[in-house]
Amino acid sequence: MSAVVAEFRRNRLSLSYVIVVALLFLLVVAGGFLSDRFLTWRNFGNLFQQLVVLGMVSLGQTFVVLLGGIDLAVGSLVSASTVFIAHFLEWRPDLLWLALPLALVAATAIGALNGLLTIVLRVHPLIVTLGMSSIIFGGTLMYNKEPGGSVPRGLADFSYAKLWGIPATAIVLVAIFALAGLWLQRSRSGRSIYFVGGDREAARLNGLPVNRIVVMAYALSGLCAGLAAIFLTARTGVGDPRIGAALTLQSITPVVVGGTVLAGGRGGVLGTLLGVLLVTMLNNLLNFLNVSSYYQWVIQGLIIIIAVSIHTTRRRQ
Amino acid sequence: MVTPVIELSRIEKEYPGVKPLDRVDFAVRPGEIHALLGENGAGKSTLIRVMGGAIRPNGGSMTYLGKPVSWQSPKQARAAGIHVIHQELALFPELSVAENILVDAQPRNGLGLISGRTRHARAAEILSQLGVKISTHAKIDELPLADQQMVEIAKALVGEVRLLVLDEPTAVISGHEVDLLFDNMRRLKREGVGIVYVSHRLEEIFEIADRVTILKDGQVAGTGPVGDLTRDEMITKMVGRRLEQIYPARRKAPASGPDILKVSNLRAGHRVRDVSIAVKPGEVVGIAGMVGSGRTEVAEVIFGTRDLDGGTIEFEGRRLDRRMPREAIRNGVGFLTENRKDEGLFLGLPISANVMAPDLAGVTRRGLIDRRGEREIALEQIRNFAVAAPSPEVKVGNLSGGNQQKVLFGRWSRIASKLLILDEPTRGVDIGAKVEIYRIVRNLAEQGVGILMISSELPEIIGLSDRIFVMSQGHVAGEIDGASATEEAIMDLAVRSIERRDGKAARLEQVA
Repeated sequence: MSAVVAEFRRNRLSLSYVIVVALLFLLVVAGGFLSDRFLTWRNFGNLFQQLVVLGMVSLGQTFVVLLGGIDLAVGSLVSASTVFIAHFLEWRPDLLWLALPLALVAATAIGALNGLLTIVLRVHPLIVTLGMSSIIFGGTLMYNKEPGGSVPRGLADFSYAKLWGIPATAIVLVAIFALAGLWLQRSRSGRSIYFVGGDREAARLNGLPVNRIVVMAYALSGLCAGLAAIFLTARTGVGDPRIGAALTLQSITPVVVGGTVLAGGRGGVLGTLLGVLLVTMLNNLLNFLNVSSYYQWVIQGLIIIIAVSIHTTRRRQ
Repeated sequence: MVTPVIELSRIEKEYPGVKPLDRVDFAVRPGEIHALLGENGAGKSTLIRVMGGAIRPNGGSMTYLGKPVSWQSPKQARAAGIHVIHQELALFPELSVAENILVDAQPRNGLGLISGRTRHARAAEILSQLGVKISTHAKIDELPLADQQMVEIAKALVGEVRLLVLDEPTAVISGHEVDLLFDNMRRLKREGVGIVYVSHRLEEIFEIADRVTILKDGQVAGTGPVGDLTRDEMITKMVGRRLEQIYPARRKAPASGPDILKVSNLRAGHRVRDVSIAVKPGEVVGIAGMVGSGRTEVAEVIFGTRDLDGGTIEFEGRRLDRRMPREAIRNGVGFLTENRKDEGLFLGLPISANVMAPDLAGVTRRGLIDRRGEREIALEQIRNFAVAAPSPEVKVGNLSGGNQQKVLFGRWSRIASKLLILDEPTRGVDIGAKVEIYRIVRNLAEQGVGILMISSELPEIIGLSDRIFVMSQGHVAGEIDGASATEEAIMDLAVRSIERRDGKAARLEQVA
């Protein structure tokens, strides 16, 4: 036990997690009192299924924000990828093994291009990815204006598959987060993201391949958007050019609520996972309480501001 | 007895757990330059803030121009004629010189609108009083730091100034810029202004100050006319213990063997025109010269962060395939930059990550970073370099300047097995930490590392270097043996070659 406490003290970031965990706990208790359907296996099964897409996109966003950047193209990229996957599979349902890797490679390449453009053009990533988002959105609409396409049974089944009563997609998500956490904390390239995000000039002086790391982080964000698109297409069964629009800004909320600093260099994926849980659970509970979605937006906004201000005050002390 | 401009008696300031000021008496007479000395954390900044109204003391009393006062805000102190110039200049980088000088007193025209013409005229008038030529239309961030500082001083002259407080103004300037600053200080002194002057550089205090007050742990350790104290006495009072020797012993015999670094006819941009320098294993080579003489740029070209236009750089007789920091690091070269906060350290990350940053490969086992190994190396470096930190997990941003510098030594001493480049290694650190840094540098040299050290502090260059190169206007003006070097000899080289070159340029113009 004391070892756990020591580990806790050593990693001061985990104190940020405590805040989010406390909020989560509060939410679960409140939910149990307010609705008898909230604290059920069935609801939590649904909930975990719901958070997979936001979870993936937010994970990608975490890498980029840790680097001190931001990726505003993720939403359009998710939409475009769903359209690609659904239409490809409508054309050749037997080529599932090709369609999915192809979608992932394309999404990763577009992400890498974002990173490359920020380096080559020396334009702020906010601008580069905003422009890229618009280009992808327009391009997708040129191809297809309405939701369309279809997916084979196998893929659709996967999205509802359960392992030991837990949605398989949720298990995959947690596994990916665990892998990402290990990579960030324990690998040279993962650690380098913190260096570049903390101080780019210092990273260069320490002999780190700064440009390569930047491109890698954006490429990973693209990859995550591609994975999110696969989950999304599997569940909805169609490709929708507008489905990801709201995801761009939504993906930033869990990152900052989870304690990752927008300026870069501080934070981690555990915080993002907790942030995703918090946001999804909150909306889920508010749905049960028949609170209008207008209020849900307002409450989500309050959570962002309150959580981040708590992190900031703590950091200043 | 003249009435002091300001007189503080038994001033106390207490925060939970610390007492930065403990019954401090301090007075500045009109027309006096009063130096304030002390290590970092001795209470100088707090004392300055009390005088300037930024901090309210818990005890004691203050009289200003003979009347008891108790400032409610910096604004009130400013209105009464107290002007404090902090180390971090309070200028708006995007605004013009004139707008900055008259920031509190924008002249209005008949319509109540700000009048640009009057503003520039008024600003130009103040600048000419100071004897500096700066365009009032220039934007602040286009100006060199020395000019920015003059703008800050010009701001003080807009209203009536009775007490001017300068917090380490010479940390960022050198050579004739310092002379210009001192000329202006003397002029203000003649006009009866009281000046408080904070500096780490003892030499300057002997040159400019009339009286000196030394703070130690929030208390006055000594005060009196400058002539009454020797340099060693001042240091002893500041540090609270006797310093047997500031600089460690030099090499007994000149270094021999093949050059570890050989730079020939280096050209880069307009700052580095023709530089040839060599460093042998185990020797400390100093580079002296004015700020702007191209010293830092030479270091940057050697390390690979700046493009090279001509000439050659050889490490142990070989040229590097690619000129970039990664290649230099791989070849055992380290670089402690001039600006450690901006370019050297990751302030938000722990000491361990900062120490290991250039050498993650060294603690990676089967693709994963070995955190215990990393921690052990960090602990070892914390011990080796006496970093005052409870654990390797402490964020570097929470350490003092001297300790941050030691963390950098901890990092680069592991990497720089061949050559360590130091750019202003003791800037902004207190005298105790300086002495430790000198010892570290000499130890590294004794282990066979070649040291190339850039510094604006001549005593440091002379005290530590085995050989000294003097740079001026992008050229090496001369080489001096460290043991026989004097400040005059160095300055003579730095300045004389400028005059000679200017003379030559003038002759060429005449011919044309």
